[in-house]
Amino acid sequence: MLDLLKSAMMGAPGYAEIRYHRRVQTAIDARNGTLKRVERRTLAGAGVRCLVDGCWGFVSTTDVTLEGLRKAVIEASDAARAGARLRRDKARLAPARLGKGEFVYQACVDEPGIAEKIQVVLKAEQRMREASPLVVGSIVVYTEYADEKFIVTSDGAEAHIVDRKPSFHVFATVGRGDERETGAKAWGVTGGWNDLMKKRDLDKMVDEAVALAVRKLDAGYAKGGQYTVILDPQLVGVLSHEAIGHTVEADFVQSGSVVKGKIGEKVASDLVTLVDDGTMPGAAGMVLVDDEGVLAERTVIIERGVLRNYLHSRESAAAFDTVPRGNARAFTYRDEPIIRMTNTFILPGDSRLEDMIAGIEHGFFLREMGQGGQADSTAEFMFGVSEAYRIERGRIGELVKGITISGQAFDVLKSVDAVSSDFELDLGSGHCGKWQPAKVDAGGPYLRCRVTIGGRHE
Amino acid sequence: MSGEGRVMKGLEISEELVRRAKAMGADEAEVYYLKARKLEAVFEKNDLQVPKGDSYEGVGIRVIRRSRQGFAATNVLSGETLDDTLAAALAIAEASPVDPNHVLPDPAEARPVSGIYDEASERLVLEDVLDVGRRFVEAARAYDSRVTIDSASFAAHISERAIANSKGVRLSERASSFVCVGMAFARDGDDISSFDAEYSGSCALAGIDPEACGRRLADKVVKALGATTIPSFKGSVIVTPYAGDELIVQPIAFSSSAENVQNGRSKWAGKLGSTVTSPLLSVTDDPRIPAALGSASFDREGVPPEPIELLKDGVLGHYLYNCYTARKDGVRSNGRATGTDQTTPGIGPTNFVVAPGQTSIDEMIRAIPKGLIVNRFSGNLDPVSGDFSGVVKGGHYIENGEIAKPVKEVMIAGNIYELFAHIVAVSREVVTIGEMRLPYIQLEGVSVTGK
Repeated sequence: MLDLLKSAMMGAPGYAEIRYHRRVQTAIDARNGTLKRVERRTLAGAGVRCLVDGCWGFVSTTDVTLEGLRKAVIEASDAARAGARLRRDKARLAPARLGKGEFVYQACVDEPGIAEKIQVVLKAEQRMREASPLVVGSIVVYTEYADEKFIVTSDGAEAHIVDRKPSFHVFATVGRGDERETGAKAWGVTGGWNDLMKKRDLDKMVDEAVALAVRKLDAGYAKGGQYTVILDPQLVGVLSHEAIGHTVEADFVQSGSVVKGKIGEKVASDLVTLVDDGTMPGAAGMVLVDDEGVLAERTVIIERGVLRNYLHSRESAAAFDTVPRGNARAFTYRDEPIIRMTNTFILPGDSRLEDMIAGIEHGFFLREMGQGGQADSTAEFMFGVSEAYRIERGRIGELVKGITISGQAFDVLKSVDAVSSDFELDLGSGHCGKWQPAKVDAGGPYLRCRVTIGGRHE
Repeated sequence: MSGEGRVMKGLEISEELVRRAKAMGADEAEVYYLKARKLEAVFEKNDLQVPKGDSYEGVGIRVIRRSRQGFAATNVLSGETLDDTLAAALAIAEASPVDPNHVLPDPAEARPVSGIYDEASERLVLEDVLDVGRRFVEAARAYDSRVTIDSASFAAHISERAIANSKGVRLSERASSFVCVGMAFARDGDDISSFDAEYSGSCALAGIDPEACGRRLADKVVKALGATTIPSFKGSVIVTPYAGDELIVQPIAFSSSAENVQNGRSKWAGKLGSTVTSPLLSVTDDPRIPAALGSASFDREGVPPEPIELLKDGVLGHYLYNCYTARKDGVRSNGRATGTDQTTPGIGPTNFVVAPGQTSIDEMIRAIPKGLIVNRFSGNLDPVSGDFSGVVKGGHYIENGEIAKPVKEVMIAGNIYELFAHIVAVSREVVTIGEMRLPYIQLEGVSVTGK
């Protein structure tokens, strides 16, 4: 395949890149006593990108014969040439360490067949229904991407990639009279079925989702306002990824995000070091070679409170006169690589979680992401929280529901006064959306900080 | 007609695969075929980023064997991969439990909807698409130099879909869509407005006005400059059409989906014929509006949909059905199966039309002593309980019947199903956003958290 791609781009003007990507996606969705859907989708084709006269052209096709690929190369270079008449800011590419050879992200052993996976999902869904008489809705979903890629660039990348990213979502709805509450758990990895099962115990997650939903029926609401809180590793991941991470993506920086021109400035508490690292083994955002053929490396975004680096593609790295470290990613062959995070996290500190809680007079202990959430280039964010507990005089108290947190993410990081020694990447179940989805992961330790809680007025 | 031969080809592939599935042991089989061409110009940071082209062709194969369903899809239409895909669909059926509600529909007449295919799309080249995108970006920038187009795109989609099943359904349709969408913010010194979006969509190229769309976007973000915080209060909120998707359309579509009714997640289970919202709210789901983006003569399963009144003066009239949920309730599918060749049928509305009210927007604002206009809602709404909470983007504070100032760091919260009972005004003005037609809707009793 690599030889075919190389022949197809011979004679292409300027820079050319062909990425053949075959994805077999499996989804198993059981809900409410039925197997709602099992789908296996094969999506395969080539994405061809050309850079001519400082402008990109991108053409995707299912025709991966030599003739079909050559046609796509011509169409992409013609489109680039036409676009170059419009484009003012000419794209250049930074030199990069390019991937050559075989990249098998995680060896998968004893991968079960579809029939066994269906049985496990059905059993978990049954367990959820039987966990409480209050359960009125039960959903268990398994999703898996099995990817194979061949990436060739005209300046020397030649990578063959084998990657598999499975995830589980469990979602319980309970009812009492007219009231409805939900509880959800989700996790994902890079690896096989057995790696996913090792990350979390499926039965335990089902039980916890139901128990949380049931407890929410009797939970009250909180009064909105500013509070000192503990964020768990998953929420630290949400903050690191959604609220901070997007603002340091170089394309967002170029359009004027809040950190534009702030490299070298103090943007967070001394206790905070935040990185993006595609090489974390088994994390759901694991990328060893990105979709421009660039080898992944750790990027230190914030070092002890000081902003050090943005995240780059080869194009943005040239504009900022720096090096790319594997953050140009495409979801399918039909998507062109854009700047994305991989695994984004805060490094652990040396505080003990118990001491951090004990130091709060009046606040909240916040656990896991709820529904919804968004952040923008100002780093203003809002996220739903799945579980929130009051902290009064250093002790964890009752559950409250309907909680969202908001604030300006760098202000939140400046307010950090304790970082625990725990560490977990725990955001691997879903997708990050930025024109196209991407599998990412994020996390860190527990943080103590100040946020705005959105609740209800009593 | 130049496109006719290709549609025939899609139907032929589908019928052939239905035959092969039957030969391999399926009791029933359905093949959904999609062929699509997409041309797109993507802009970032006020500049062209990339022109893009995509050619796609794929099939989704659904089989039913001894009341067990299997599904597999592929966009590799070679003999070997098609055989593998058929075998995968049957293997999934084999491993799945019996469910007698898996049924395929019988054939029914599907009357074409006019205006959903623009013949001009066949002659379109990438340069035309680049030009429309350029006009959008330039119009927004020319409106005010403080505006930054963070990202924008203009895309033309031309599709041919076909469906065949073992009961004799045999349908095909062509459609085109043109969509201009942009996300922008304004920056004046250190003052950065919140992001806002604007959208223009049409089935015909001539239906797109990129300059007007660009100016609307620029106007929104410039007006959001100089935003200040406000104190908390509980009161009137005007939900604009752009915020209406999340706050109005999604909860109604969720709770009227037969699937959510059957699985206990809908608040509106058992409420057909009952009042579920204020009498000021009426909603029609209409798949037959000429030249509308949500129109189609048949759904994902080949069932022709008809317009239905979801809400009539606040009374729930219908649920949205596909074949599976209809069989469960012992009714006929009303043709609301959604999805593509790569997915099994889901459920969703077509063109979601909220009926206009009696009040003009100006009258609505004049009658509010203290309130908030929500231009965009960025938050979380749990469609099961109805609880929502989130940040208001591009919000404006209303004081003594006038728009006083743009606001920032304001959150709203409440329960949307409770608030549906407290709709106090619906505007005469209606905005079309994609498949939605929405007026401005005034809710009473929303918690507004400021600083």
